[in-house]
Amino acid sequence: MERKEIAILSGKGGTGKTSLIASMIPYFQNLVLADCDVDAPDLHILLDELNRQSRDFVGLQRPVIDLDRCIHCQACVNHCKFHAITESIELIPSKCEGCGVCELVCPVDAIKMEDYVVGKVFASDTKYGELIHARLIPGEETSGKLVSEVRKAAKEVADQKQRDWILIDGSPGIACNVISSITGVSKVILVIEPTLSGLHDLKKVVTLVQGFRIPLLVVLNKSDLSAEGKSEIRQYCQENGIEIVLEIPFEENMVAAIVNRELPSLYDRAFFDRIGFDQFIERIKE
Amino acid sequence: MKIAILSGKGGTGKTTLATNLFKTRNQGILIDADVEEPNSHLFLKPLIMERITIKKGYPVVNAETCTLCGACGDFCRYNAILPTKKKVLVYPELCHDCGGCQLVCPADAIQYQNRTIGNVFYGKMESGLSVAYGDLLVGEVSGVPIIENLREMTDKEPLVFIDSPPGTACSTVAAVEGVDYAIIATEPTPFGVSDMKLVVEMLRNFSIEMGVVINKAGLGDQEVYEYCEEENLTILAEIPFSKAYAKCYASGGMLSDEFPEFREKMEQILDQIIKD
Amino acid sequence: MKIAVCAKTEGMESVVDDRFGRAEYYVIFDTNKLVGETVENSAKGEPAGAGGSAVRLLSNHNVEVILVPELGPKAVDAVNGFEMKAYRYADRKTVRETIAAYQAGGLQQIETSTTRSKSGLRRA
Repeated sequence: MERKEIAILSGKGGTGKTSLIASMIPYFQNLVLADCDVDAPDLHILLDELNRQSRDFVGLQRPVIDLDRCIHCQACVNHCKFHAITESIELIPSKCEGCGVCELVCPVDAIKMEDYVVGKVFASDTKYGELIHARLIPGEETSGKLVSEVRKAAKEVADQKQRDWILIDGSPGIACNVISSITGVSKVILVIEPTLSGLHDLKKVVTLVQGFRIPLLVVLNKSDLSAEGKSEIRQYCQENGIEIVLEIPFEENMVAAIVNRELPSLYDRAFFDRIGFDQFIERIKE
Repeated sequence: MKIAILSGKGGTGKTTLATNLFKTRNQGILIDADVEEPNSHLFLKPLIMERITIKKGYPVVNAETCTLCGACGDFCRYNAILPTKKKVLVYPELCHDCGGCQLVCPADAIQYQNRTIGNVFYGKMESGLSVAYGDLLVGEVSGVPIIENLREMTDKEPLVFIDSPPGTACSTVAAVEGVDYAIIATEPTPFGVSDMKLVVEMLRNFSIEMGVVINKAGLGDQEVYEYCEEENLTILAEIPFSKAYAKCYASGGMLSDEFPEFREKMEQILDQIIKD
Repeated sequence: MKIAVCAKTEGMESVVDDRFGRAEYYVIFDTNKLVGETVENSAKGEPAGAGGSAVRLLSNHNVEVILVPELGPKAVDAVNGFEMKAYRYADRKTVRETIAAYQAGGLQQIETSTTRSKSGLRRA
């Protein structure tokens, strides 16, 4: 079959994105997992990783300043639009976007752009399939690029091992890392809570996903939290032609599964049978 | 004093803490720097008095003077400018506004223009307290310029509460720049602890003083407590998991208005941070 | 004339890739010499703007015609700017078969984008 990539997103954080994807895992054979939430990668916590391999990720180039050559003319300071170089010619790495203007304007060639490691990409085997995840060094730039790298690595593994499915754990929000998580996927599943903020955040992420013309399905998590919130989200989805494919009521065992580092759908099978998880999976695989 | 409220993991109660601390203190200004998905205003319900449009530059090439030499395309590291055989194509949404193409252009054919990437809203609550929040337009890649605007506009304020974006990437860094104290909202689950570690690492890199608030206490396990002890992190408060709290939050209510014991927790946190 | 095809692996017998800007390789076929040369796509890892970069790369190899599965709006602009022509294939055949289909007049020329913009939802 043609390989399919499915991304799970949430807009707002903490709505149960990772718990949902973890619960889906046992229902798929022939699977590669890509954890693209590179700021907060959590999927690996629930999976026993074997043969973990890691490599450095060079996100961008950064200037290296040779202070022996520097004549303190301030050209780099004045031209840097990101205020990443101080008056005493020190680089503030967290502000640098790697554009290379400082190297260009330095009259004495005291600045060289060099590769800079901003994170690590990990590949490991698990009982259910290969897992690719990554870690951005806290405070670093270019998480969008690291997401692309994770997806690329996942595709390579899927090609080699002839896997049919890639499940992507996306990041919260709507900016570069989310965009990188969903370009070219065949389906997006949005995990939403029936809260005022949940509905508010849903709207922005729906606009984003629909802009890419990607088919979209909604999972309503902790669906019994607010009857009012639930009916508002239902109404919004109906008006915008979005199908709610699954409702998951609040269940303490979901948290208990995570605490015990187990996949929720294996930890409490009866609960998942009750909410119609089988049918949900079939719907996803269509 | 500038106090940032942040969390590695989303949904750990960052906005709840920020808004309730602010309302309990009844002083200063709150800025919502989670510009991708701002929520604070849904709870504080300020009356919006001012909207500031946030713009970002991008190059415009003068076809008359351009010699199609290709220097701009060779310089740009973001694929935002592409010299072809006939003309130079510009992709504004990929541009980081570094100014490099303009500098390398030998024909002086490049000028910068501005486009809107988002807005900052400024308003007042019924009580007279000020609230500002940023909102990034859908499809834009980075909210950092909006966060910087929020920060600059409140630079002189004596007391600022900052609702920060989740995670530890560039937008979070922009939100915590120059803060005096950071409150980490976490939850007692393996995910909460794992994500919190990254935040602690980031804050230590910037030498920012920090304390921890454990939300949904009682729902998970002990790992977060062990981690805080090992790392010598102050636990400012524990807020028990409660379905009543969750329901109040779901409908946009303020916990400190509804639950006196919650308000006491907020006071307890503020007393530890703000020393008069 | 040089014709480029998006390819998953190297050589004329490779299966065509289902992406343009992020294709693994391009096989460039020279219709005078009747040989295919494989070029690695240096743009495939770019976080954004891969399509435009890939067109520039191919133009530097003097390619005049590209055979692609799809083309975003940025890449269409770039193809026009570099005075190239783009044709679309739908079948997952080999590079050799795809070139043959083009030469037999069996592929449709792309004049406007076949996908929506990937990184910019609003055009400035």
